[in-house]
Amino acid sequence: MIPLILSSIREVPPLGWEEGLLWDIWNNLLRGDRPFMLLRGLGISARIAVFGAMIGWVIGFSVALIRISKSKILALLRAITTVYISVIRGVPLLVQLMIWWFVIVGSADADRLFVCIICFGVSSGAYVSEVFRAGILSVDKGQTEAGRSVGLSAFKTMTLIVFPQAVKNALPALVNDFTILFKDTSVVGFIGMVDMLRAANHITAFTFNSFIPLITVAIVYWSVVTPLIALMSRLERRLRKSDSR
Amino acid sequence: MIRVENLSKSFGDLSVLNNITEEIKEGERVVIIGPSGGGKSTFLRCLNLLEKPTSGRIWVEDEEITSKKCNINAVRCKMGMVFQHFNLFPHKTALGNLTLAPRHTGRMEKRKAEEFGMELLERVGLKDKAYSYPAQLSGGQKQRVAIARSLAMKPHIMLFDEPTSALDPEMVGEVLDVMRGLADEGMTMVVVTHEMSFARDVGSRILFMCDGIIAEQGVPGKFFTNPENPRTQQFLNSIIQT
Ligand SMILES: Nc1ncnc2c1ncn2[C@@H]1O[C@H](COP(=O)(O)OP(=O)(O)O)[C@@H](O)[C@H]1O
Ligand SMILES: [Mg+2]
Repeated sequence: MIPLILSSIREVPPLGWEEGLLWDIWNNLLRGDRPFMLLRGLGISARIAVFGAMIGWVIGFSVALIRISKSKILALLRAITTVYISVIRGVPLLVQLMIWWFVIVGSADADRLFVCIICFGVSSGAYVSEVFRAGILSVDKGQTEAGRSVGLSAFKTMTLIVFPQAVKNALPALVNDFTILFKDTSVVGFIGMVDMLRAANHITAFTFNSFIPLITVAIVYWSVVTPLIALMSRLERRLRKSDSR
Repeated sequence: MIRVENLSKSFGDLSVLNNITEEIKEGERVVIIGPSGGGKSTFLRCLNLLEKPTSGRIWVEDEEITSKKCNINAVRCKMGMVFQHFNLFPHKTALGNLTLAPRHTGRMEKRKAEEFGMELLERVGLKDKAYSYPAQLSGGQKQRVAIARSLAMKPHIMLFDEPTSALDPEMVGEVLDVMRGLADEGMTMVVVTHEMSFARDVGSRILFMCDGIIAEQGVPGKFFTNPENPRTQQFLNSIIQT
C-alpha cells in the first residue's frame, strides 16, 4: 500500500498540490528520481566527510607526535610536516582538490570518490594535527613524570596516560573540525562528483527553479551540523567542569 | 643502596647542583631540608633520572643508572616517587591509578593487581574510595592514593618531594601518618619536606641543601639543636619564626 502511494506521488502531485509553491516543492523534491538524487548526494558528502575525517585523525595524530618529539632522528620528518601544514593551510581546499584530480591523478578513469576522500583526509590531517598537538601539550607535564616514575616506558606513558587526556581535551575542537570538513564537501562537484549541491544543480537544470533545491540543501547541511555543534558545546562544558581538580 | 658521585646539574647557564657526593643506605630515612631554589627537587629527580645529570654518576642497588646500558624503566620500578602536586591520572579511578603500572609493566595481571591495589588502599585508609576519580578526592586523599600508587610497584626506595606542601593544614597529618607507617616498616626513604617535626621524629639523617650543595648534615638530635653552618642556623631560625 505505502510503496504504491509513494510511487504514485513520484508521478503525480498529491491532492491539493497542483499549483503554486506546493507544486514547486513536489516538482523539485518529490517528482521522479529527484528525491533520490538529493539523498544519494548526501550519502556522498557523508562518506567523504567520515572517511576523510578518519584519515585526518590518523595523519593528524602521527604528525602531532612527530612535531612534539625532540628526537634528532626525526628532524627531517619534522621539517616535512612543517611544510605540509603550511601548504595545506595556505592553499584553498578547492584548489587542492583540483590539483589532486587534474594534476596528481590526471586520469578520468580514476575513482572520484576515492580521490575526494584522500584529498579531504590529507587536508584535514593538517588541521587535526594542530588540534592534537595543542591537546597533548595541554596535558600537565607532571602526568608524564608520574607515568615514567612508576616505570612505564615513554611509549606506554604516551598511549595510556597522555593520549586519553589529550583526546578528551581535543574532542570539542575535533568535532568542530569535522563540521567544517562536512560543509566543505560541497566543493566536490568541481571534479564531477554528484554531491547534494551538484544534485540540486541538476534538478534546477530541469525545473528552472533554484530556490527550492538550494534552500533544501542549506536546510539539510544546517540540520546535520547544528546537533554536532550542540554536542561540541556540551563536551566543552563537561571538560571545564572536570578540569576543576 | 643509592650512591651519588660528583653529581652536577645545570639548566643552561644556571648551575643547580654542584658536585654532590652522597650515599644512602638501606633502611635510612633521609630528610632533605633547605631554602626554596636550593636544588632539593632537582637532586631528588636526578635519583630516578627524571632529570638527566650534567655530570657525575649514580648507582641504585649497585646498578649504575647513569650508564648508557642501564634500563631505566626497570630501575624506576624499584623506586617510588611522590610529587608535591600528586599527579594522579585524572582519567582513572583511585584503584585504576594503582593497577595501571603493575599491569602494563607486566608485573601483575589484572586480578592480582586489583587485589593488591585494594590491600594498599585499605592500608592508606581509602578502601571506600577505590572507585572514585581523583577529582572527587580531597588533597590529602589524593596524596594518599599517590603514595599507594607508588607502593603498588613494590618499590625498595621511596622518594618524596614536598608531599604535604600543596595540602591544607588539616590534611597534612593524614599523609604524614602514612609516611610514618612506611618508615616503621623499614622502607628506605628520601624525603624533601618543610615539616620539621616529621624530620625530627622520622628522619634518621638530615641533609641541609642550599646553593646546589649539601651544606650540612647530621642526625636529627644534633642537627636541630646544634647546627654548625651559619646558613643552617639562619634557615632553622626562619622556619621556627613562621
Ligand atoms: N626544568 C628547569 N629548567 C630551568 N631551571 C630549572 C628547572 N628546574 C629547576 N630549575 C631551577 O633550578 C633551581 C633549583 O630548583 P629546585 O631543584 O626545584 O629547588 P628546590 O626544590 O630546592 O626549591 C631553581 O633556581 C630553579 O629555578
Ligand atoms: Mg622543590
